[in-house]
Amino acid sequence: MNVRETMHGYSMDLSLLQALEREKVLEVLQRDKALRTIEEERIRKLKSELQEIRRKGAKSFACQYSERTCARCQRPLGKFWNCGAVCRGCSHRICSKCRVSLSAHNWTCTVCHAYREVKFKSGEWFLEVRAKKFPRNSEVCENTGERLLQTYRRLSHISVVPPTPPPCYDGPSSSVFDRTGGLKSSKPFTKSMENLMVSVTSHIKKISRSQNDLRTEQVLLTVDDGRRSRKSQSDTALNISSGLKKVPSLPSLLRKPESEGQQDGGLCADDEASLQSGYSSDKRWSSSSTGTEPEMFDNVRFSGEINLAVCYSSSASCLEIQISSCRNLTSGDFKKTKCHPYVKLYILPEKSVYGKMKTSIKKNTTEPVYNQVFQCSIERNVLVSSTLQVSVWHVGTLKKKVFLGETLIPLAPWALEDCASQGAAWYSLGPKLEVPVKPAVVSEELLISVRFTSLSQPSWAYRCTDDICIGVCDAGVLSVLVKGIQNQPASRSNPSLNTYIRG
Amino acid sequence: MTDGDYDYLIKLLALGDSGVGKTTFLYRYTDNKFNPKFITTVGIDFREKRVVYTTNSPNGTTGKTFKVHLQLWDTAGQERFRSLTTAFFRDAMGFLLMFDLTSQQSFLNVRNWMSQLQANAYCENPDIVLVGNKADLADQREVQEKQAKELADKYGIPYFETSAATGAEVDKAVVTLLDLVMKRMEQCVDKPAPEAQNGEGTSKLDAAPAAEKKCAC
Repeated sequence: MNVRETMHGYSMDLSLLQALEREKVLEVLQRDKALRTIEEERIRKLKSELQEIRRKGAKSFACQYSERTCARCQRPLGKFWNCGAVCRGCSHRICSKCRVSLSAHNWTCTVCHAYREVKFKSGEWFLEVRAKKFPRNSEVCENTGERLLQTYRRLSHISVVPPTPPPCYDGPSSSVFDRTGGLKSSKPFTKSMENLMVSVTSHIKKISRSQNDLRTEQVLLTVDDGRRSRKSQSDTALNISSGLKKVPSLPSLLRKPESEGQQDGGLCADDEASLQSGYSSDKRWSSSSTGTEPEMFDNVRFSGEINLAVCYSSSASCLEIQISSCRNLTSGDFKKTKCHPYVKLYILPEKSVYGKMKTSIKKNTTEPVYNQVFQCSIERNVLVSSTLQVSVWHVGTLKKKVFLGETLIPLAPWALEDCASQGAAWYSLGPKLEVPVKPAVVSEELLISVRFTSLSQPSWAYRCTDDICIGVCDAGVLSVLVKGIQNQPASRSNPSLNTYIRG
Repeated sequence: MTDGDYDYLIKLLALGDSGVGKTTFLYRYTDNKFNPKFITTVGIDFREKRVVYTTNSPNGTTGKTFKVHLQLWDTAGQERFRSLTTAFFRDAMGFLLMFDLTSQQSFLNVRNWMSQLQANAYCENPDIVLVGNKADLADQREVQEKQAKELADKYGIPYFETSAATGAEVDKAVVTLLDLVMKRMEQCVDKPAPEAQNGEGTSKLDAAPAAEKKCAC
């Protein structure tokens, strides 16, 4: 690692020194810094004293002074006797008492003298002369030692970063298993995850088919009923389910997202999978459940709600998620009716960027209280196209994890206004990304899928051209909040794409 | 040890080939002790000394005294530290250019050090004192006083033959340099004054075109 600081013709390089040497030099620099701190304090005092002298010995604009007064003490000067003289420094007429003689015939007034003294004593003269030779340097950093110290700080900051990536990636792959397994086990795991991500695209149909065998019957009858029956446990869902009857008017729903689509978040395998599966079946599984075997889902009914609050500070670009509690959770272990739930958070679609956030595991409860706060730094424009994936998992025997339900919360509302929905709210947990309302519309390269994240949630629209996810935006189903947001992304809609869809 | 109870902080810097005795010279000056062991300086170091400086007014009537805090920078003579040490030339107000009286090579290198100073010091002609050290080792002497004096005259700088071992001329060399720096200080402040009768503004304007000129070169 060779970090070179080249500055104005010469280079300074602490990195070339050996560690011990560098330490020694740094120690000297620190001593120098201590000395400089004292010096700065001294100069500050000098200058404040100078200000005081100036203030005392200055003619104020408020009063009128006659020509014949001393500029410093404001005493009247006579015409012939005690007539004063002009100071060479400031060109003011000064009485004989307000002078400081430098030599026999050379004097200045008290203020000019104080100025001169400060210039000497503060070393300003030196800086002025040097500024003539190094005009640019003087302002940036006046001291070599200080600059070196700063350079070193940067240097040491760099050297803190290990040259090779750490064995344990804190990406989506770092599950409980990875941590214990270390590098060797985590690598295959990551790979298998990737494979899974890819294969989900092709296998998703099978998975969802097998999953939805039971449901499809219901769905075939009416989409709404199917949902209500499964969701009936959550009170919010009950209120909403009635309104859901409007949903089947798919063209209208589709049109909304198509005019709203604007963000160009990269399409991850997850989305791709959802789009394709969404096209073929009504149910859709997110590949985010890669941590557990899909078979697990068969046994679990999804119920329960999670109470959480989201807050976004645009000034700090910081998203804060507080997971308060859950209620009415499905017990993860049916035989023993045990439940050790924890909550896992992802920011979609870029899982790896913000990483995984997990709460602690609460033992033996279907109503865990976490009260944990997670923060992540995320830019507003990214937030608009992001979704918060909140999933609840049960940790079973041998750390086998059971999926208990999930909810997707579009983060766009929080990007639009800082204070929107700051309070905690109950979100009902559903299966993995349940019920896309409408299969995608395919026209040549354009693939569109609209789906509901959960009954109580705003619907979630994806829009794709080729492999790029163009838009992720909310289409409100029932909630007033979502309705308000609809107009927002619409301003940047792409008309040419609209025609494709309509055609 | 240090407090802000002084009137001037003057930064001096010793430079010269490796082994000419910069560190022992400064050790002698600040602590009045001699360490015959050769411990090579790592990069840079500095020593401090508080002295009382008395001004000699031109007419000799008033002699004001000031407390001067000296920061004496000690630099490594070794080539491999060169980039580091030369960077510190910029912050020094005066220089002790040292060579070894028992080493002809160190004397020949004075020329190189002078050009280093011209390039890196705060101005083109900073205050320098030429110091021939190890004057006590008369039998090993390689550089004659006349030779060194001629070189010093050529540059227009004072020359001293010192011995860190005995302490001869050590104080004198430093005090002479300090005196030069203090005089330079007054020159720098008072000289532009007649040109800038109306105060600060014009003197700054004067400085700016000069700086630009140098930039263009």
